[in-house]
Amino acid sequence: MLGHATARYFLERDPECHIFLGVREKRELAEMVVADFAGRAFLCPLEITDAEAWTSALTMIETQSGPLNVLINNAGYHDDSLLATMSYSQWAGVLDSNLNAVFLGCQSVLKPMMQQRWGRIINVASLSALHSPAGQTNYAAAKAGVIGLTQSLAKECARLGITVNAICPGHIEGALPKSWSEEQIKAVKRETPMRRFARPEEISAVVFFLASRDASYMTGTSVKLDGALV
Amino acid sequence: MNLRHRIKEVMASELMLEVSVDDIGDDTPLFGPNGIGLDSVDALQLVVTIEKHFKLKISDQDKAREILHNIESIAKAIEEAGLA
Repeated sequence: MLGHATARYFLERDPECHIFLGVREKRELAEMVVADFAGRAFLCPLEITDAEAWTSALTMIETQSGPLNVLINNAGYHDDSLLATMSYSQWAGVLDSNLNAVFLGCQSVLKPMMQQRWGRIINVASLSALHSPAGQTNYAAAKAGVIGLTQSLAKECARLGITVNAICPGHIEGALPKSWSEEQIKAVKRETPMRRFARPEEISAVVFFLASRDASYMTGTSVKLDGALV
Repeated sequence: MNLRHRIKEVMASELMLEVSVDDIGDDTPLFGPNGIGLDSVDALQLVVTIEKHFKLKISDQDKAREILHNIESIAKAIEEAGLA
C-alpha cells in the first residue's frame, strides 16, 4: 500500500520521473498506478529474494528507461507470533523478505549507481525496529537489520555520490493489521501523542525528499515517522 | 597518451585523490601505508572505474587483489585482455 502511494506521490510531483513497481502475484494496486500514469509507470516482475530476478529487473529498467537513479526497498511482510511458538520458517521467511531482499536490491543497483556517481537508496524499515512490540521478534530483527545495513552502506557509498537512508514509519492509515479490532485501533490512537495515524502521503513526502537532490548531505539516517509515539 | 598515464589520470580524477598524477609511480603500491593509501571503498570504486573507462571486467575478488596492486599490474591486465 505504501509503495503504491509513494509511486503516485512521485509521479504527481515529478513529471519527468519514470517508476517501475516490482510485482509478484498481487498486482491490482500496481496495475491501477500503471493505468493512471500510462507511459511513466511500469510493472516490473520481481521476486525480491532472488538475486537473478534483481539482475533481470535492472536490465529491463535500464533498457526501457535509462539509468536507475532511485531505489526504494519497500516490500516486506509480517508473520507475527510469540518467539516461543514461532516456527523457523516464520522466522526465516520474514528475515528473507524484509532484510535479505534489501541486501540483494542494494547490491544490484550499486554498480550502475557508482558508474554514474549518483544514486539514492531509501530503505523502508519500521518503528518496530526501534520500539519492538511482543510478537514481532522476526520482523523487529529484520527491520533493525535494515537500519544497520543502511548506516554501514551509507559509509561505503558516501564518496560515490550515493546516499542511503531508512525511514521508520509507525502506524499508517489503510495499513493497520487486519487482526486489530475497533477497540484496539482506538487504544493505539490514544497512545499516539498526535492522536492519529499517518496518512500514506505523509510518509511518501519524506521518501520523496530523501530521493531529491536537496537531500544530498543526508545519508545513513533513519527517519522516525510516528507522530511522536516513541 | 600512454595507457599507464591514462590509468593514473582516470584514477586520480574518479577517486578524487589529493595526489598529483606525477607522484604516482607505475609500481607504487595502491594500497597500504607504503603506497597511495587507497582503502576498500576506493578499491570497489576502482573496479567500477576500470570497467567504465577500459572495459576490463574484474569480477573475482582474488583476481582484483592481484590486478589492483599497482598501475603496472592494471595496465598489464588491460593489455592482456586486448583492451589497450
